[in-house]
Amino acid sequence: MENRPLEYDYTVAKMFMFTTIVLGIVGMSIGVFIAFELAFPGLNTIFGKTIAEYTAFGRLRPLHTDSVAFGFTLSGIWATWYYVGQRVLKVSMAESKFLMFIGKLHFWLYIIGVAAVVVSLFMGITTSKEYAEFEWPIDIAIVVVWVLWGVSVFGLIGIRREKSLYISIWYYIATFLGVGMLYLFNNMEVPTILATSPIGETDIGAWYHSVSMYAGTNDALVQWWYGHNAVAFVFTVPIVAMIYYFLPKESGQAIYSYKLSLLSFWGLMFVYLWAGGHHLLYSTVPDWVQTMGSIFSVILILPSWGSAINMLLTMKGEWQQVAASPLIKFMILASTFYMFSTLEGPIQAIKSVNAIAHFTNWIVGHVHDGTLGWVGFMIIAALYHMAPRVFKRELYSKGLMAAQFWIQTLGIVLYFTSMWIAGITQGMMWRAHDEFGNLAYSFMDTVNVLHPYYALRGVGGILYLTGFLMFAYNIYKTMSARPVEESELQNASPMGA
Amino acid sequence: MFHWLEKHPFFFAVGVFVVIAYAGLIEIVPNFAQASRPVIGTKPYTTLQLAGRDVYIKNSCNSCHSQLIRPFKAETDRYGHYSLSGEYAYDRPFLWGSERTGPDLHRVGNYRTTQWHENHMMDPAKIVEGSIMPAYPWLFKNKVDLDTAYAEQLTDWEFFGVPYNKPVPTKDGGTITVKMGKSVAESHALALAEAKKVVANMHNQDVKDAVARGEIPEIVALIAYLNSLK
Amino acid sequence: MDINTITAYAYFFLTVFLVVGTYSYIYHLYKNRKDATGVDYEHYSNMALKDDIGDTPVKPISEEKAPTKGDKEK
Repeated sequence: MENRPLEYDYTVAKMFMFTTIVLGIVGMSIGVFIAFELAFPGLNTIFGKTIAEYTAFGRLRPLHTDSVAFGFTLSGIWATWYYVGQRVLKVSMAESKFLMFIGKLHFWLYIIGVAAVVVSLFMGITTSKEYAEFEWPIDIAIVVVWVLWGVSVFGLIGIRREKSLYISIWYYIATFLGVGMLYLFNNMEVPTILATSPIGETDIGAWYHSVSMYAGTNDALVQWWYGHNAVAFVFTVPIVAMIYYFLPKESGQAIYSYKLSLLSFWGLMFVYLWAGGHHLLYSTVPDWVQTMGSIFSVILILPSWGSAINMLLTMKGEWQQVAASPLIKFMILASTFYMFSTLEGPIQAIKSVNAIAHFTNWIVGHVHDGTLGWVGFMIIAALYHMAPRVFKRELYSKGLMAAQFWIQTLGIVLYFTSMWIAGITQGMMWRAHDEFGNLAYSFMDTVNVLHPYYALRGVGGILYLTGFLMFAYNIYKTMSARPVEESELQNASPMGA
Repeated sequence: MFHWLEKHPFFFAVGVFVVIAYAGLIEIVPNFAQASRPVIGTKPYTTLQLAGRDVYIKNSCNSCHSQLIRPFKAETDRYGHYSLSGEYAYDRPFLWGSERTGPDLHRVGNYRTTQWHENHMMDPAKIVEGSIMPAYPWLFKNKVDLDTAYAEQLTDWEFFGVPYNKPVPTKDGGTITVKMGKSVAESHALALAEAKKVVANMHNQDVKDAVARGEIPEIVALIAYLNSLK
Repeated sequence: MDINTITAYAYFFLTVFLVVGTYSYIYHLYKNRKDATGVDYEHYSNMALKDDIGDTPVKPISEEKAPTKGDKEK
């Protein structure tokens, strides 16, 4: 034992890699299913009329969003944290029994939390707030899991050898603080179990039920401050953390500009939070909040593109790697989609565009080109890069990986093009008037017209899911492939044909 | 300056927190200082309506239906007067939604009847040709959870000062008092009385029988809630 | 002064401060190129590229804690 050289310990990273893949498959399958429910409503009862309550669109939709956001994405974030964190701080988890224990506890409590979420959402126990559907007992569990992760982050930083924190670490810290703050404030609620009736009865009704601390417009304001920034701190900030590590590492190229990364980090931190108001344009929140939301959404292009351009320029002079390595392809396409959706978002946040886009499928399209293209691809790339190093094996198949890349890319293109057309068609039809000033279309006209786009979107989803299953298979086969001789691998990941 | 922070994780974290918390302080806090006030004519939900609202939430109706009419001609033509902030004063949580896969429901009580909802929930495509809304037959069987709705009402009254058993102004210049039971038994009795008025306009015999026995199916509460949206 | 006026002023001055701060910071970074300890900023990128447990840190937290190849083989 004494003589074993010190190595990075990836035990916890492996555990989270596993949940990333499993919850990814679950969340994306539900997504594909509910996409087809909209195209073919008969699917609502395909599993039998008796359990139709649990397979209807409304019941499954929160399960889809939460399992991809808080299952797939969070697991991916944590898998990479327990990998990247050690490496850039140059300290091994094996050096601290305490941090190892916290890491494992973090994982197992998270699993319990996931189970509780799945069961409660199937039963229809929800607060109705998007991405914050969980009732107070689960909220408390989530806070505990989050704090454990914080202990892990700051604990590892505390025993680091590298004095300076690498760019990725900044973004992980921001994720921890940002989500922590937002989640706490948005989920302020009073459990109904505390209520006493005028004649003194207590313990009335379901113990887990609660009432939001905020009412109406205030509730909406807090919810979208949260909803928008949950996107910021779950789908953007930690994914930027990943690309700042994995792209340079895989390509062997230093970041194009470290200085630019400093500036875009602080820019993003300041600007992102203001933009939440763009979810509430033309609603009953004060006008100045709406205007501020619009303006800051446009300003947000700058820091977002600062990071994205920094990534693309990192490949300067090395573009042949993009052609040669499917792994680099995933990351380059991810940062391209990042640029794309951070441009699309601000366009939708302009008030006159929002008047058409809000409540339509264009918004759904926007979310998905960000999540499928940017978040999904980046996490897939990160896991592909980690797998050979964590399992000390060669990646099973490069060909399969390239095929997966093209299938998923086609899926994303089908998804967002169909949703764009659907959204703009919807928006225009809702507002169309005939020559006498009457509404030109009934609501049903605007539903009927969407059928082909809903079907096409479903096909896009199937392609993406197929690619994801190929990814899972590739990782699985990697775990049983032949071992690699070298103890540490530099740069480009070894791949089998 | 900023670069120094990277070598000092504690101050780094403090810096990040200050920068991200700032927007919230400016955007949200001032709005809370002026708490959301009800407009004239907005009244608190009854126990049955709250129970119906919980059914609405349980089935995530808000995934597909918004409750927010924006101030555009096309929207006011289709759904009625645009929404006012004060109309949501008793909405905990708010149910504006973010998608309009189906039409807006903020004033659905103005143009749909109990009977329409009853038929529609049983088989939407039969009432509205081409509808992609799923059928909700289980609402006719599941019994509504009145206890929880009552606890919710008590919470509203106890912690947030929602004016139950107090006169609130109505649009015609008069006042109306929304009653809240003093005990679980009384709240059940009030809800049942209200449910009887709803089922008088329904034709499903099972539902009528259940209410006659003193049990309230979810559909009755949901319709009571939808009818209150005006 | 009511809360709206206070937030308006706070907002205005913070924005001015940030604009001035950011631009002077950009100027500072590009003019000096090196940080106070004499490390070129761009060398910090090596934290990702040379991240084996035995690699020498760009800026070790303390000399004795930094493992060297020698330590590793001991």
